[in-house]
Amino acid sequence: MYQALLTRKYLTSKIMPLLAAVAVMLCTAMVLTVWSVMGGFLSRLLESGRSLVGDVTIEWPNTGFAHYDELIDLLEEHPRVKAATPMIDTFGLVSLPDNRVEGVNIRGIDPKTYGEVVDYTQALWWKPLDKPAEKDHKGEDVRLDPRYKELFEAVYQEGLSLSEPDSKTGVPQWAAVPGIEMLGLSKREASGIYRLGSLGKALPDGGVANVMTPAFQQRITVRVVPFDREGRDVRLVSRPFAVANEFRTGVFEIDRRTIYIPLAAAQSMMKMEEAKSAVSGGTPAAGGAFNPYDLNADGTPAVPVITGIDPARVTTVLVRAKDGVSPDELREACDQVYETFAEKHRDVPAARTLRENNLIRTWEMRQAQFVAAVRKETSLVLFILGFVSATASFLILAIFWAMISEKTKDIGVLRSLGASRAGIAWLWIRYGLAIGVVGSLAGGALAWLVVSNINPIHDWMGSVLGVTVWDPRVYYFTTIPNTIEPVRAVIVLISGLVFSLLGAIIPAIRAATLDPVRALRFE
Amino acid sequence: MALLNATNVHKTYRLGKVDVPVLRGVSVTVEPGEFVAILGSSGSGKSTLLHILGGLDRPDAGKGEVVFDGTPLSAMGMGGLDRYRSERVGFVFQFYHLLPELTVMENVTVAAMIRQGRLRYKAAEVTERAKALLESFGLGHRLGHRPAELSGGERQRTAIARALINRPAVLLADEPTGNLDRVTGGTILDALAGHRASEKLATVMVTHDQEVAARADRVVRLVDGRLA
Repeated sequence: MYQALLTRKYLTSKIMPLLAAVAVMLCTAMVLTVWSVMGGFLSRLLESGRSLVGDVTIEWPNTGFAHYDELIDLLEEHPRVKAATPMIDTFGLVSLPDNRVEGVNIRGIDPKTYGEVVDYTQALWWKPLDKPAEKDHKGEDVRLDPRYKELFEAVYQEGLSLSEPDSKTGVPQWAAVPGIEMLGLSKREASGIYRLGSLGKALPDGGVANVMTPAFQQRITVRVVPFDREGRDVRLVSRPFAVANEFRTGVFEIDRRTIYIPLAAAQSMMKMEEAKSAVSGGTPAAGGAFNPYDLNADGTPAVPVITGIDPARVTTVLVRAKDGVSPDELREACDQVYETFAEKHRDVPAARTLRENNLIRTWEMRQAQFVAAVRKETSLVLFILGFVSATASFLILAIFWAMISEKTKDIGVLRSLGASRAGIAWLWIRYGLAIGVVGSLAGGALAWLVVSNINPIHDWMGSVLGVTVWDPRVYYFTTIPNTIEPVRAVIVLISGLVFSLLGAIIPAIRAATLDPVRALRFE
Repeated sequence: MALLNATNVHKTYRLGKVDVPVLRGVSVTVEPGEFVAILGSSGSGKSTLLHILGGLDRPDAGKGEVVFDGTPLSAMGMGGLDRYRSERVGFVFQFYHLLPELTVMENVTVAAMIRQGRLRYKAAEVTERAKALLESFGLGHRLGHRPAELSGGERQRTAIARALINRPAVLLADEPTGNLDRVTGGTILDALAGHRASEKLATVMVTHDQEVAARADRVVRLVDGRLA
C-alpha cells in the first residue's frame, strides 16, 4: 500500500527516475524501430512472393514442359488451389529507347489467368486514380488529372491485355509492360509519385495517342536465346515490342529488371509454341521429309500428312492457394498433383526429378538463401542492440543506488514504522517496474511515431541533409518498411520492463538489508 | 505485569577493530500508561536503549532480554518484530524524520498503511483518525502541506500523530523537544500528556533536559551505559 504511494511520489518529484525512464524509452524505441524495419523488410520480402509469383511455383527452367494446360486443370481441381497460370520465365536482353542494353528477366504471361494468381492489376502503374496516393499530399500525381482519365484508362486496358493498337492500322499488336524503373523515363519523387517527361502526342480528334513518351512510337527490343526440347540452343531471337504500360511492385530489383510480354510471344520467341511434324503426302522430292515442292502422282501439289504434334511448353506454372491454406500445404498439394500429371505424360520431367531439384517450391524456398541471411542479420543486430540496451539496467542500478543512499534515513523511518525487509525491497522493485512501464510505453510510442513516419523522415533527411540511408538499389524495396507488429512491440516492451526490473533488484536488496538503526543515524 | 521489561541489557558496537560498549547491563521496567524519562548525557546510551526497547536493535547475544507484555522480543522473528513496531510501538525522533515527499496527512497515514497492508487498509477510518489526531495537535489547516513548509514544532507534532495513528501501547520518544525552543517544546509535551491520559499510553522518553524529565512519573538516569 505504502509502496504505491511512495512510488507515485518518487516518480513525480524527482528528476533522476525520469532520466532513467528516458534511458529505457530510448533503448526500447531503438530496438523496436530497428526490429520493425528489419523484420518488416523480411516480412515484406516474404509477402511480396504472392504479388510476384503466387504461393508456389512448379518449374522446369529453360526447356520448359508440355501439357501445362492439363496440369493447370488438375491443379485447379484440387481443394487447396485457388488458381494457376502458365508462365515463361527466362533471361534476355532489352534494348531501351536511350540505347542502353540491359540484362533482364523476361516473363511471358497470360494476362487473364496471371491476374488471378498474382496482383498484376494492382501492379500496373498507369491507370486513372480517384484519390491521391498515401504520400501525395499535394495531389500532384498526373493520374489524378481528370483530363487524362480516358487516356490512362486506355493505357490500363493495354497493360491488362499486353497489347496495343498499331498507330497506323489500329490492329492490336503484342506489347510489353516493363517495370517502372527499367526505362528510366518515369522519375520517382519523394512523394512517391512518378513524373513523366510529357504526356504523349495529341491527336487531331483531341485524344492522345500514347502516354509512354519519349518511348512514344519507339519500341523496345527484346532478345532471348531459345532452347529446343533437348536443351540445345537454337539461335538468338529478337523482337520489337511497343510499351503498353509500366508496373510497380515496390521491389526495386523486380521493378528494375523485369519485363512482361504476352505468353504467346514468349513461346514464339523461345520456340516453345505448338509445333507439328509432317511427312509428304505425295512423291518426296528428296528424302522422306515434307517438302513444299512435293507433288502427288497426278502432278498436283502434295498436302503434307501431319505425323505428330510437339505441344506448347512453358517453364513455370504459378499456383495460388485458397484462403487459409499455407504455402507449405499448397506445395504438398502441388507435389501430389504433379506426380499424377507426370505419370500420365512421359514427355514431361518426372516428379522425382522436380522433387530432387527442389523445383516445386514456395516463394520463401526460392529466396531461402537471402531470407536466411536477412534473418541472421536481424538476429545479430537485435542481439547487439539488446546488449546495448542492457546499459539501461546499469543506468537504473546506478540511479537507484544513488537514490537509496539519499533515502537511507527514510528507509530507517519506514523500518521503525514496522515496514518489513520484503516491503522495502518491493518498494524499490515496484519503483523500477514503474520506471520500466513509463519508459517502455513512452519508447513504444516513440518507436511507433518514428516507424510510422520513417519514409517522410528519410525523405526529409535526403532533401535537407543530403543523406540517403535507404538506397533502393541496396535494400530491395523502394520504401522503408513502416509497420510495427504487435507481437514484436509486446516482446520489446516486456524486455524494457525486465531490464528495468533487473536494474532495480540489487539496489532493492541493498535497501532491504540496511540496518534500521544505522539508517536512522545516517547523515 | 509490566508492559515492557528490559533486563540486564548489554550492547556493544564495533568501530573498526575496537569494541565500544554502549549499554552495560541496563534494566528498565515500564508499566501500562506510565511515563518514564531516561535521563542522561550525550553518548550515555539513551537512544540505543530506546532502539532496543522498540525492537529496532537487539541486545548482545545472550546478554539481556526485553519482554513486551509477557513475550520476549528475542523470541520474535523478523516478521514478529516488524509487527511489534507497527502495532505496539510508536517512535518519535528528535529530528522528526518525516518523509519529505509526502504531505502531513500522508506522513501520518503511511504508518497505518504499513500496519494494515493493502488488503486490510481501511482508508476512510484511517483518514478520519489521522485528521482527528492532527486537529488535536493544531494541524488541521496543514493537512496538505509538505514537511518543508512546516515549522519545527509542526513537524514534531506531525511525527507524534504518525506515532499514535496505530494506537500503540508504548510511545518511544527520543528527545522529541531537543530541537525545539522551550515554549514549543512545552506545547508538544502538553499535547503528549493529553493523549497519554486519554489512551493510557505508556511513554519512554529519552532526554537530557531536567525540566522535561520532571514531567515524568519516573526518571531513569543513564551514565556511561549503566543505570545511575
